[in-house]
Amino acid sequence: MTKTSTKLLLSLVVPLLLFGMYACAHTTSMATVHPTEVPAFPVCSDCHTDSRAALNHTSDFSTTHKFYAVQNKQACTICHKESFCSDCHAHKEEIKPSDKYKDSVERALPHRGDYLNQHKIDGRVNPASCMKCHGRSNNERCRVCHK
Amino acid sequence: MKSINLCLSERSGPGAFRLLVLTSLLLGPLLFPALSAAVNLSGDSRTYLQSRETAIDQNILGVYEYLDFAVQNVGNETISFHTGGWLRYDLRDEQFGRKSNNDLQYSYLSFRAATDNTVVNLGRVMVFEGVASERVDGVYARTDMAAGFGISAFAGNPVETNSDLSGNDLIYGGRIGHQGGDLYRIGVSALKVEKDSDDYREEQGVDLWLHPMNKVDITGRSSYNGVTKGWMEHAYALSLGPFDKVRLNTEASWINYDDYFFRATISAFALQPGLLTPHEGVRILGQDISYAATDKLYFTADYKNFNYDIAGNANYYGGKVNYAYSSVSGSGFSYHRMEGESDRLQYDEYRLYGYTKIDRTNLAVDVIDISYANAINGVDNSYSLSVAALYDLNEAWKMGADAEYSRNPDFDRDVRAFVKVLYRFGSKGGV
Ligand code: HEC
Ligand code: HEC
Ligand code: HEC
Ligand code: HEC
Ligand code: HEC
Repeated sequence: MTKTSTKLLLSLVVPLLLFGMYACAHTTSMATVHPTEVPAFPVCSDCHTDSRAALNHTSDFSTTHKFYAVQNKQACTICHKESFCSDCHAHKEEIKPSDKYKDSVERALPHRGDYLNQHKIDGRVNPASCMKCHGRSNNERCRVCHK
Repeated sequence: MKSINLCLSERSGPGAFRLLVLTSLLLGPLLFPALSAAVNLSGDSRTYLQSRETAIDQNILGVYEYLDFAVQNVGNETISFHTGGWLRYDLRDEQFGRKSNNDLQYSYLSFRAATDNTVVNLGRVMVFEGVASERVDGVYARTDMAAGFGISAFAGNPVETNSDLSGNDLIYGGRIGHQGGDLYRIGVSALKVEKDSDDYREEQGVDLWLHPMNKVDITGRSSYNGVTKGWMEHAYALSLGPFDKVRLNTEASWINYDDYFFRATISAFALQPGLLTPHEGVRILGQDISYAATDKLYFTADYKNFNYDIAGNANYYGGKVNYAYSSVSGSGFSYHRMEGESDRLQYDEYRLYGYTKIDRTNLAVDVIDISYANAINGVDNSYSLSVAALYDLNEAWKMGADAEYSRNPDFDRDVRAFVKVLYRFGSKGGV
């Protein structure tokens, strides 16, 4: 893929989008709120047998939710407010998620426990996973040591 | 493109709009219950008090107010407003050299049509589309098109922390996707950042979700760095299940450091010998299997292999048992071992936790212990213990307190205490 392909893609996207808004699919928009209440770790497959069943919030969801989110975030917003994502996908956050939710021991929250020490290890093992959240945002605290 | 930028930019200072939102954050908890009778207003106020030490021996006692709310159904469903942010004030030492701080996490006006999932958001928006996971001051739009196609685009100022570069910057991008019923979803996407009209970042990617049959899902994303001209990352996952009692997940990713760690705003991700190795690459392969022996008893076993081009190999593996005594109480134990070629990558990790609800109070305990094969700063074990309580006063109000004690190679004794008051107002909830 080259620079021109980006430009091409982008110059296609905008007119198509405008066109799409006026002449299209005639599907009914998704509900803004999920029709039923679900428990804290919803097992979608209890109620849905189609592809929605893949979104079961099992333990691996903390690594796989990104794939679904970048394709169809609307399916998340029927249950989640933006502020829910912002606790982890932060901008200038000063409190780590596991400090806000100490009472939710079952949640898969990044950096539980002491992290100033452990981060040197995890950060070396898979720095790409940290870059997602700290690379261009939420890194004021890091600056104290990483000049 | 420029004309559609909303001026919420960090560098342009607090615009009138930003000030308005920040003021409402301050007054929010007091004002909104009264207002919410008039329009359909809903949200959460979370007040936190945190006491901790920092890496530079400061004693912190910070009060935080997090407020988010949405104004909806003003006559119809078409227009709504969503915002969230926080304020902090330090009662003892000041953090990051400022007695107080605040952040506007998101704040946008949303137009939504009854058909085609057409959405236009204006303001500070979070964009998750293909290669883009960005916070943008600007505009985001998406719509479904005929024949299963869907399209989205965004443009504005990138919202980043402490980017040292001055000058004007512009981010824009989009994604075209196609959905073949329940069988697949595929998308191509691109994003571009220009700084003073120079190409600063350019990424393209493909994302994919195959659902060839029920209980079989393949998801993934590949992203390409158009400036360094190399693949940044391929990340794919296969999940099988849930079958009767078993679920299997396989995860594979390839990361090229030179292309991935690009334009970070912090030196921790700088590629320098001794820190992150330049030209390094890693292949990560993970497998986990979970088995529900009964409704209440759960086992998970997992394995991850890190195979570096330069640094060698590391394996991380272990398991977890989870037992639910009732719908509100349970406990879990996990053990993991890291076995790597370098000294630091040799340790055992244990975690034991439990939770229960007595009357209206949720209680939780959590113990994490890591034991290093090779001592760090002369310490070969680090642990942390936390206890937490959360009291449900009623549907709207909850309050809680917790404390964490830890000992590790950096701190002989690190104590953190946290108090929270949570208040939910208005109709529609959401988590
Ligand atoms: C308690 C049962 C139940 C659970 C659990 C459940 N749902 Fe639903 N969901 C429903 C019902 C009922 C509907 C409305 C009928 C339909 O669209 O199938 C629905 C609708 C939906 C819709 C379509 C909304 C629309 O207007 O098009 C989506 C998307 C959805 N659910 C996703 C999920 C996801 C993802 C999960 C798991 C995180 C989940 N659901 C868990 C019962 C449930
Ligand atoms: C049917 C409702 C529903 C849908 C749809 C849904 N979620 Fe969730 N999700 C929940 C609930 C309930 C929780 C538990 C929240 C809590 O404990 O505070 C949760 C938790 C999570 C967590 C935290 C898991 C953890 O262990 O901390 C993440 C991340 C998440 N959801 C992401 C997503 C993404 C991304 C999507 C869209 C692809 C999505 N969810 C769709 C209901 C839903
Ligand atoms: C409990 C913390 C948590 C919450 C809440 C959460 N995420 Fe994530 N998210 C993560 C983690 C951890 C990763 C990194 C996963 C990995 O690649 O290992 C991630 C990665 C992502 C990525 C990929 C980012 C990138 O740069 O590649 C997207 C997109 C994403 N999450 C979307 C969402 C959305 C949308 C929500 C809200 C519905 C959400 N997340 C809520 C923890 C969270
Ligand atoms: C899903 C997003 C997310 C991911 C992934 C993530 N972090 Fe964080 N991290 C946060 C947030 C939010 C905070 C709270 C902000 C703060 O304390 O400055 C935080 C805090 C921290 C802290 C400060 C902890 C403390 O007690 O003061 C360190 C160190 C850290 N992260 C390192 C890492 C490293 C290393 C990785 C990769 C192994 C990583 N993080 C992955 C979101 C993330
Ligand atoms: C108290 C000081 C301190 C703070 C605060 C801190 N780090 Fe570090 N970090 C270190 C030290 C020391 C190392 C080990 C460097 C080495 O191995 O030579 C390290 C290593 C890392 C590594 C591994 C790469 C490498 O060069 O070894 C990453 C990634 C990292 N830190 C990210 C972060 C992020 C992200 C934050 C903020 C959320 C953060 N750090 C905050 C001190 C700190």
